[in-house]
This record gives sequence, C-alpha cells and structure tokens, in this order.
Amino acid sequence: MADALMAMVPQYGLWLIALVTFLSCLAVPVPSSLLMVAGGAFAAADDLVLSTTVFAGFFGAVVGDQTGFAIGRKGSTLLKKMGTGGSQRRILFERARNFSANRGGTGVFLTRWLLSPLGPYVNFVSGASGLGWAKFSFYAAAGEFIWVSLYTGLGFVFSGQIEMVVDIAGNISGFLAATTLAIFLGRLALRPAKDQLQGELAPK
Amino acid sequence: MKRLIHAWKRRPVFATGFVLATVVAVLFALRSVSMMIYWSDPDHRDQSIEGWMTPRYVARSWHLPPEVMIGAIGGSQMPDPRRPLNEIAADQGITLLELTTRITDAAAIFRDQR
Repeated sequence: MADALMAMVPQYGLWLIALVTFLSCLAVPVPSSLLMVAGGAFAAADDLVLSTTVFAGFFGAVVGDQTGFAIGRKGSTLLKKMGTGGSQRRILFERARNFSANRGGTGVFLTRWLLSPLGPYVNFVSGASGLGWAKFSFYAAAGEFIWVSLYTGLGFVFSGQIEMVVDIAGNISGFLAATTLAIFLGRLALRPAKDQLQGELAPK
Repeated sequence: MKRLIHAWKRRPVFATGFVLATVVAVLFALRSVSMMIYWSDPDHRDQSIEGWMTPRYVARSWHLPPEVMIGAIGGSQMPDPRRPLNEIAADQGITLLELTTRITDAAAIFRDQR
C-alpha cells in the first residue's frame, strides 16, 4: 500500500499530503511521515514545489488538530462521567486536567513534532480538559509547522535515501514517545495514596 | 521491585501500562541499534529503483543528467515527468524490471564514460 501511495505523491501530492496529515492528527494510522519525506524528496527532484508541499502538510495538520480538539470538547461530558468512575480513572482524569492547565501549551507543542505519536490523543484530551482554544491553537500550529518542515526538509536533503530517513525518524520518535508514556504512567502508579486524597480531590 | 509490586496491587492499570510502555521503548531502542548497523553499510544506502519513483526522482538520486534518463526510457523527450515508472512501463508494454534494467544499464555506461 505504501508504494501505491508513494506513486500518487507527484501527481496528487498536495491533496494527498494534506489528507494524510489531517488523518494522522486524529489517530488514524496513515504513513504521514513517509509521505511528507517523499513530498520533500519529489520537491528536490522538481516534481513538486517545496513551499506548497510544506503548506499542504501544515494546512492538513492544523485542520486535523482543530477537529481533534473539537471532538474532545464535545466528548468532555462523557469524560466527566468517566472521571467519577474507579479511582484510577479519576486519577488519570485529574492528572490530565492539571497538566493541561499548568503545562498544556508545552505539552501540545512537543507532542506535535518531538513526541508526535502522542499528538492525536493530546488533541482529544486538550479539548476535553478545557484548555483554552486560542492557547491550544497557537501551540499546536507552531508545533505542526516544525513537524511538517522537519520531515519535508529531511526528504528534500536526503532525497536519495528516504527509506533510511523514515526508518530512523520513526524509531527515534517511537522511542521518545514510549519513554515519555512510561515515565508518565510510572509516576501515576507510584504516586502515594495520601497525595491522591488531598491533592487531587480537593475542590479547585 | 517491592514498590512496583505494591503499585501493581493498588493501581493495576497504570502499572500494566507502565510495563507495556517500557517494553515498547526497549524494542524501539533495539531496533534503532539494528538499523544503525544496517544503514551504516554504504551498499544499503543506494536506493534501488522502484515502481513509484518518477524519472526525475531517479535521475536525481542516481546523479544522472536528464538526457541520459530520457535515452534510457526511450523516446525523444521526457514522458509526463510526474508519472511513476510502473505506469511508464505499462504504457510501453514492458515490465518494470525491463525498464529499470534499461535505466541501470544507461547509468553504468554514463558512469564509465566519465
């Protein structure tokens, strides 16, 4: 499937790249990094124009982030109900809300590019936990710009070795995302119970 | 370890998630190492010609001038440059392998002449 998609890049490149970055912001498993790198490589071969390729990816990603955020906001009542469930769910919900309120902007920014596998879930959580729309939009757009420029730029520079670039970038971002998730969950698992009672359930 | 077992009893979902995420992180780390070994071999870096590539793409990654590429594909001018090689091969009624062989042969001759 990847090869068939790659063959479509020079012909339908911009629409295809915008569509793929859009879907990948909503947790749909599409090869977005591969197609962005391919877009950069085809731009290096003069089959596409670099600036419009970057713009297409950026446009799709921004619309995707906004959609994920809106879905999260719509689903926030459902989450609130879930938040009154078992103690672990309650902790997770509170934790996500605290994080969004205190360090939400940084979290959104970093999960666009450095920790991109976590991005779609942060979109939903940001919407559901009441992170301000303007703040979310600013950090999301800034991060997406880096994400798209980075992958397209790598494809442009390493146009002869895009397989290598996609392999390496995919592994690095997978490793960083899994490590971040492990630290996050490990801290939740080990957090003392007292703190949970006093800190998390106290009315804001 | 004791703390982990304790945490497991108290918060099984987080503890399980933590272990799974750690396993995934280790797998990615191992894959990174094996990949570095693979890609450090220069032979693996020369990307072979594949059906999704366009003539200009191959010309660029193989450092071939356009006229060598046009000659290899056949005809006097570049076919619609954005068409991938598998479509060009289909138009000419040949297999992709025949087309790529023509390109690699032309590339070899070009490199010998230099």
